[in-house]
Parts: sequence; structure tokens; C-alpha cells
Amino acid sequence: MPATEQPTDVVRRRRPRARLVARYLLLTLGAVIVLFPVYMALVNSLLLPSQIAHQPPPLIPTNPQWHTYPDAWTGGHLGIYLRNSAVQTVIIVAGQLVTSILAAFAFAFLEFPLKKTLFIVFLMTLMIPFEVTVATNLTTVSSLGWFNSFPGLTLPFLATGFGVFLLRQAFLQIPRDLKEAAQLDGYGHLRFLWAVAIPLARPAIAALGVFSFLGAWNQYLWPLLVTGNDNSVRTVQIGLKQLLNTQLDQLNVSLAGTIIAIAPLIVLLVVFQKQLVRSLTAGAVK
Amino acid sequence: MRTRATRRHKDWALAYALLLPGLVIFSIFTFWPFLQNFKLALYQNPPYPGLPSTFVGLSQVGDVLSSVTFHQSLISTLLFVVMVVPTGLLGGLVLALAAHKALKGMAIFQVIFSSTVVTSVAVAAVVFGTLMDPVVGLLPWLGLDPHPAILSNPTWALPAVAVIAIWQFLGLSFIIMTAGLQSLPEEVLEAARLDGARAPTMFFRVTIPLLSPTIFFGLVVGFIYAFQSFGQIDILIGSQNAEFTHTNVLLFYIYRALSVQNDPGLAAVLSIVLFAILLSVTLLQFRFLERRVHYAGN
Amino acid sequence: MIRSRTIAATAALCLGATVLPLVAGSGALAGAASTPVCSPKALASSKGPVTINFWESMPRANGEEMVRLTDAFNASQKKVHVNLVVQTSYQETFQKYRSALSTGLTPDLAMLTDTDTQAAIDTQSFIPAQTCMSAAGFKTGDLLPRALAYWKVNKVQWGMPFGVSGPVLYYNKKAFTAAGLDPTKPPATLSQLVSTAKVLKAKTGAGMGMVLDPWHLFTWMATGNQLSVNNSNGRTSRANKASFNSSAGLAVFNALAQMKKDGSVQTNSVQGASRYDNLLGAGSGKFSMTIDTSAAQGTIEQLLATGQYPNVDVGVAPMPKVFTTSSKGGVEPAGNGLWISKRSTPAKQAAAWQYEAYLLSASTQAAWSAGTGYIPLRTSAANSPSIKALWAKNPGFKVAYTQLTKGTQDAATAGAVIGPFEDVNGAIANAEASIFVKNIAPKTAINAAVSASNGIIAAYNKRLGVK
Repeated sequence: MPATEQPTDVVRRRRPRARLVARYLLLTLGAVIVLFPVYMALVNSLLLPSQIAHQPPPLIPTNPQWHTYPDAWTGGHLGIYLRNSAVQTVIIVAGQLVTSILAAFAFAFLEFPLKKTLFIVFLMTLMIPFEVTVATNLTTVSSLGWFNSFPGLTLPFLATGFGVFLLRQAFLQIPRDLKEAAQLDGYGHLRFLWAVAIPLARPAIAALGVFSFLGAWNQYLWPLLVTGNDNSVRTVQIGLKQLLNTQLDQLNVSLAGTIIAIAPLIVLLVVFQKQLVRSLTAGAVK
Repeated sequence: MRTRATRRHKDWALAYALLLPGLVIFSIFTFWPFLQNFKLALYQNPPYPGLPSTFVGLSQVGDVLSSVTFHQSLISTLLFVVMVVPTGLLGGLVLALAAHKALKGMAIFQVIFSSTVVTSVAVAAVVFGTLMDPVVGLLPWLGLDPHPAILSNPTWALPAVAVIAIWQFLGLSFIIMTAGLQSLPEEVLEAARLDGARAPTMFFRVTIPLLSPTIFFGLVVGFIYAFQSFGQIDILIGSQNAEFTHTNVLLFYIYRALSVQNDPGLAAVLSIVLFAILLSVTLLQFRFLERRVHYAGN
Repeated sequence: MIRSRTIAATAALCLGATVLPLVAGSGALAGAASTPVCSPKALASSKGPVTINFWESMPRANGEEMVRLTDAFNASQKKVHVNLVVQTSYQETFQKYRSALSTGLTPDLAMLTDTDTQAAIDTQSFIPAQTCMSAAGFKTGDLLPRALAYWKVNKVQWGMPFGVSGPVLYYNKKAFTAAGLDPTKPPATLSQLVSTAKVLKAKTGAGMGMVLDPWHLFTWMATGNQLSVNNSNGRTSRANKASFNSSAGLAVFNALAQMKKDGSVQTNSVQGASRYDNLLGAGSGKFSMTIDTSAAQGTIEQLLATGQYPNVDVGVAPMPKVFTTSSKGGVEPAGNGLWISKRSTPAKQAAAWQYEAYLLSASTQAAWSAGTGYIPLRTSAANSPSIKALWAKNPGFKVAYTQLTKGTQDAATAGAVIGPFEDVNGAIANAEASIFVKNIAPKTAINAAVSASNGIIAAYNKRLGVK
């Protein structure tokens, strides 16, 4: 071992402070870029319409127009739209979790004819993006009388190939001996699923839940096509578009609407960050 | 003997029962519509529902594929993807590298950088739409005052919408890159460091190659994401102005065909094209990763 | 034992529940087949009030006036109850109507913009107003014939005019004086408009604000007594060729190019956030002249009444004619019309007609015009005390009416009917914009618009299965 200091060691000791500062600067710059649009929306939502056009823009509202939030909620019907989005999302998440858990369990623990073929069939759905099926789905839903209704809004999304893939992986991690031991204890398949498999696969199920939630909440194309004139089923995404179109001179109210629409998701992001990361990177790391 | 057989048959029945809900949903809402496209493409539809459609065979397919609108749409889509995906991935990589160190406050930065993944298309559109508005927006302050206004401008509308999509993609890109960085084998990096590799060499000769599966995954996810973006265009530019502003990307074209022009035949042809493109990209990913695995194995 | 009886009972109930409506429904259907369309007798014999859904898109003050008139109608009688369903725009109304055609949730009465006329006919889902007029024995009386002519296609009165306006020239009298021009003699022809804009720009720095609205082109064609599309503007049989690159259309495009060269005009798009820039500019003194709908007058008055723009004294003049002030030709009507659904029951159709007749009565037209600035559609309404007082106080409000009652009545002044009007408008707007954004020569631009329009019309007709 060399007794004297190597040049690289000296360099490493002298550089860290500058490097650290540079890193924090870069991080702050990144944070500003990422947060700036939403921050401006927040600020503008509290300004008077005449102040919004001011150049340069005010960074802090001096006379906050708090009324824009109740205005967006009631006049913009955001309360109703949030409720509709919540109902739609809960139905879709529940549906996706149930169908994925059931199918994944079958593929992971049961042997049956055509198992491989059926698994490929489920995977093939990943190859068919929703947009490619929209034309016929619209006709199907209309002819079943489900236009502008929750069944029409949610049915096409109650199953997901991605969910089956993800949960099958998770179930496959459960050791075979555990299943055999449970069988010896008299556990039937379904009891094993409920009492052992699901609890053990909880992280993956939670990840799927978060992924499904985001997908359902942020849907745009299908709600746009399937919701009608009235507010009975319209989701918050379409409601925002409506708000923008009708409040052309009250931009601050529209922006208050977007803040309202995004606030619950930010809360969920902070709480469920780990699950979110897991679900989004399920295919990345090989 | 008999009990084992009955148990096996019971297993089969259970398995099929468990698969049934998913299969039913997929059959009705995924496979059937996908196949229907091939039939719909052969029928010409009247401009309004309620009137009969006529069988025209492949001539509609030929008309659509040779039309100027379709070519423009492909070009706009390609330009959009090229603008959004590399920039978004690079941005995510830079942020991930910056945040990939156990320092004070890093968790907050990580939440901030992932946050755009929860913004919906409508939120991003309204927020950025305000910023880009010719009267109340920030562009004049930045010295940008194009005529016509940026979102009605044939040259600048697509880049403007791309900026919005890039911002939204940053969150997803950051998460993917961070997960990739966290999965890098520490031993390899340490060995390279001990060998005396300096930072730039480390980065380009070691880190990036090790990250390449992640980068490729990010490219595919980004590609699919960019292909599915049309909400911002619908909200900020509108269906009437899309062709003039060269923002008639493929998915928006499909939406307009269905909802504005009442032309399921046109939408079907375009959907098949969209499927073909996405399928090729996904197959490319599998092919690339197969090779990658073999390479790493060697 | 009990269980099977319960099952049997439930089954019977379900069966009954499904069969009964079918039987009742078929009875109604049988009834509908024998009752003539839009029959007042059906309305008279119906028990209780007949409710109809009316899709309209009148914004702000006009929307409030709509509510007032409808409430008065609902309160004045017990047979018909009108339910207003407000849409955000003409465009949205038609788009929603289109999707309603496949879901079956169509309104009984719809307010459609003028350019949707041929499209509405082509949906084959409306009954001509004429049918209701004959059934009710309605006489048009002193309804303005030029207004009616717009909604009359192939000798059939399809829609009825309701909110009718016209393009007018708004100009700043103070700017005219400052530039040495006579404020009582605003430009009356297109060439005068171009030269006046040049003078105004040179002397005051405030030239012309121009919204590139294809509607103006069609109106100029009408003032030049020229057809914009073939087959008598699509009125004797379906149009299949555009013809607006005639001398009148070319004059318009040349004028735009000339004003661009003179630097005397600033344009804005008819779509999107900058739609009202020309009006806002005219009100604030940025422009000395602009052309826009007479229906915007109320807003302009409001803006000026705030006193924020002391340098502006707004004058309203008729839309300049495309050529010399000849007596032939005239401004085409514009605005919205009322359409009755074919899919409603005869009682509802008759109810919708009764409401329409009310809206078109002299007293309602006087109130509507006074409250919104739209043209009163009967001479008796125009002569009513409230309107006469309004026009005496503010002569600008009379310009659109005078414009519409002057001029010849023929296919050119009736205006064009085109199926895919929205797309044709898009092609024209793009062509006009290309003069400014891409420096395209006016003749090239207008010919490009015509060939694009021909392609659009041909594709549309092909989809309809007609030539």
C-alpha cells in the first residue's frame, strides 16, 4: 500500500465542496423548471384577470382572489367532476386489481390445458393500444345504451394485461413449498390466494393499484368520446376543458380549477411514491 | 386414482373460471374491436350517423394511405416524437444523475422531479396554455411574439405542444432513469474507479453502456407516450386548426375522424397504421434486449 | 314449494315489465305513423304540457335575453314547455348533434349556425319548416324575404332565421378627422377601403384591423352579385364546384395583398384566443377601422362607455361593396336559424313550431333585437316604438337592417349552401393567412383555396353517395 498520498486522493479532497455546490445548483435549477408552470398556475389563480397579463408576471399575489377556488368548485362544477372521476377511477382500479389477481393466480399456481396459449393471449393485449380499439368500442357502448354512463365509462378498462404480467411475476416469487405446506394444512386454492398469496404480493399489488389509479384518473380520449352534455358522468379532465372554454375571460378561475384537479394527486404522490416507482419500472431493470 | 383426476379437473375448472372475467373483457373490448378495424376499413361512411355505409373494398385504404393529410400526419407525428423523446429522456437522465446521491434533502428533490408524472394532459394543457397565450402569457416578456400567435402558428405550434409533452414526460423519465441508476452493479463501478478511471471516462465508457437497457426501455416508453399524446392539441389548438398548424398527429387524426368527421372507416385504417408502428417498435425492443442479454452473458 | 312460486311470480313480473312497454310503445308507434308530421292537432289533443328540448348557444347578454323570452313564453300558455339546453358554441352544438344522431338523444329544436344549412339537410334528420308552416297555416307576412331566402334551399323553406346579423364597418371618426378624411363619408367600396386604410396608417399610425373570416369573402361575393359555388350557389341543386375565384373574390384577395404591401393592415385569426383582437384594437384606438359582425356592437358600446378610450368615437357604416356602388347584389344574411327534428313526435314538432312562431312574432322580434342588436326580422318589429327609439338614439344599430333590406334578391344574395362548409372555410382562411405568413401571391392563394374546396366538396359528396 502506498504510504504517500496519490494525486487523485488530493484532487478528491479539494473538489468535493465545489462539486457539492454545483450539484445543489443543478438540482435547484431542475426543481425550478419542473415546478415553475404549476407555480405560475397557482399564482395566476389568485390574481385579478387584469393582473394576469402584466409583464413581467408577479411572482407573489399581493391581493389574493381566494374566491376563484369556490367559483371553480361550484360554477365550474369541479366538485361534481371530481366525484365522477373518483367513481370512475375506483371502479376501474377495483376491476383491474380483481381481474389481474385472479388471472395471475391461475397462471402462477394452477396447471391446466392451453395454459401457455392463454398466457400469450393475455400478453397480446399489451400489443393493442386502446386507441386502436376506440372506433368499435364506441359503437358497442352506444348500442348497449351505455353512452354517458359509468358502465360505458369504465367497462373497457376493467382488465389489463400489464397487471396480469406484473402480479404473475410477484406470485411466482412465492416459494412452492409454502403452497404445498398450505395444501397439507387443508387450504384450498382460493383460501391460499386470500390468506397467503395476496398478503405476500402486497407490494406488487399496491404498485399495480397506483399505476391503475393514475391511468384511470388521467384518461382523456375515452371520457371525451363517451360523456355527453350533462354533468352526470363527466370527469374532471373533460371538466377542465369545459371550464377553459367557458371562462375565457376568467382565466384565474380556470387555473384554480387545474390546481383543484391536481392537488389530490400530489398528495397521493407524496404518500405512495415508492409504489409508483416500482410499478413504472416493472419492465425496466432486467 | 379417481380423486387425483377429479382434483385435477377441479383445478382446470377453477383456472378457467379465474381467467374468464379478464378474457370476456378483452374479447369484447380489445380483440373484437381490433379485428373489426379490418372490416371497417373496407366501408365508406357518410358524414353523418344514421345514413347507410357502402362497401368500397381496399380503395378506401389506398385513398387514405396516399392522401396528403395522412403523409402530413405521419410527418407531424414523427417530428413530435423526435422532439419529445430524446429531450425528455436526456432531461430525466440529468435530473436522475444529479439526484443520485445520498445527500440532505434529496428525497424532496426526488418527489419534485417525479411530480410531473401525476399531471394529467388537461392540467398541463391549461397551465401551459395560459403561459403561451399571446395576450396574458409570458412569451412577450421573454421576447417571443410570433405572428400568428404561437398556438396558431404553422411553424411553432408543434414545438410548443412538444414542450408541454416534454415537461410531462420528465417525471416518468426521471423515475425510469433513477431506477436504472440504482440497479447498476456497484462492484463494476467500484472496479472502474479503482482502475483510475476519471469522471468523464467513467461516465461514457462504463455508466452509459451499463445503463443502455434502461435507456432503451425509456426510449420505448417515451415513444409510446409521445404517440398517445393528443389531449394538449385538442384543448389548445382544436380540431379545426390542427391541419393548418401541422399538429394533426396520428392519434388526433384518429380522434377527429371518429368524433368530428364521423368516419369510422378512416379511423380504422389509421388505427391499423398506428398499431403497426407501435408493434414494430416493441418488437425492436425485444430483439435488442435479446441481443443485449447474450452480450452481457458473454 | 314457496321458492318455486316466488320464482314463478318474479318471472311473470319481469315478463310483464318487458312486454308491457313494448305493447304500449308499438301503440304509440302505430299512432305516430298515422299522425301527420308537425300536426297542430297532435299538440292540441295531447294531455298536459308538451316539453321540448331546445339546443341553443347564445352567449352572455344574448343568452340572458333568450332565457327571458323563453320564460315569458312558458308562462303565457300551458300547452308547451320549452327547456333551454345551452351549448358553448355553434360548432359544439353541431358536433354534439352529430354524436346525438348515433345515440338517439337528439333535441326537438336546434339553433344551428348559417353555414350548417346544407349539412343539416344532409343528415336527413330534420323536417323542413315549410311542413310546419303548411300544417299550422302560418303566413310569413312581413318577415324579411332576404332573411328567409338564406334558409330556403331548392324551393323548400328548411330552417327559419332567428338571430340574424351582418358584417359592418366599424371606424373611428376621430381618426378620420385627424387624417384629413371626412368622417361622414366612410369607404363604400373595397378599393376605397384599401386607399383609406393607407391614408389612416400614414397620417395616424392606426390602420385597419382585419379578422381573416371567410364569411367576409362570401359576403363580398354577394355584394358583387357573383356566385361562390355552382348550381345557383347550391340552391337549385347540390353544389359540386367552387367559383369564388371570380372577379369579386380575386378583388378581395388583391385588396388583402395590397394592404399588406402598404403595411396598413394587421390580421388575426377567426379561431382561437386572438379572435377578437381586431375589435379590441378598434376599441382601444390601435386600429382606425375594422369589419366585424353587427352583433358585436353592444360589446363595443359597453367598452367605450367606460370612458377609458377618449380618443375613439365609433361610427358604423355598411360593409363596403366589392365593386362600385351598383344597385345589384347585396349583403347575404348571416347568423343562426332554427331547425325542427324529424325524430320527435308530431306533438313535439308542433310544439316546437309554436315556440318558433312566437320567437318570430313582431313583439318578440322587437324585444330580441333591442336586447341583443340582432336584426329585427319583421318590418313591423322594425317600426315598433322600442326599436325606433333605439335606432334614433344610436343609428349604428340600424345599419345591418338597412343593409339587409336593400339590394336585389337572387341566388347570389341568398348566399352559398355547401355541405362541408366548415372545411371549405378552413381552406379559405388558410389561403388568406398564407398571403401574410408565406407571402403567397393573391391569385395563387385564391386558386389554391378553390382547388382545395373542390377536393373537399368532392370527397364529401362521395361519402354521401351523390355526385
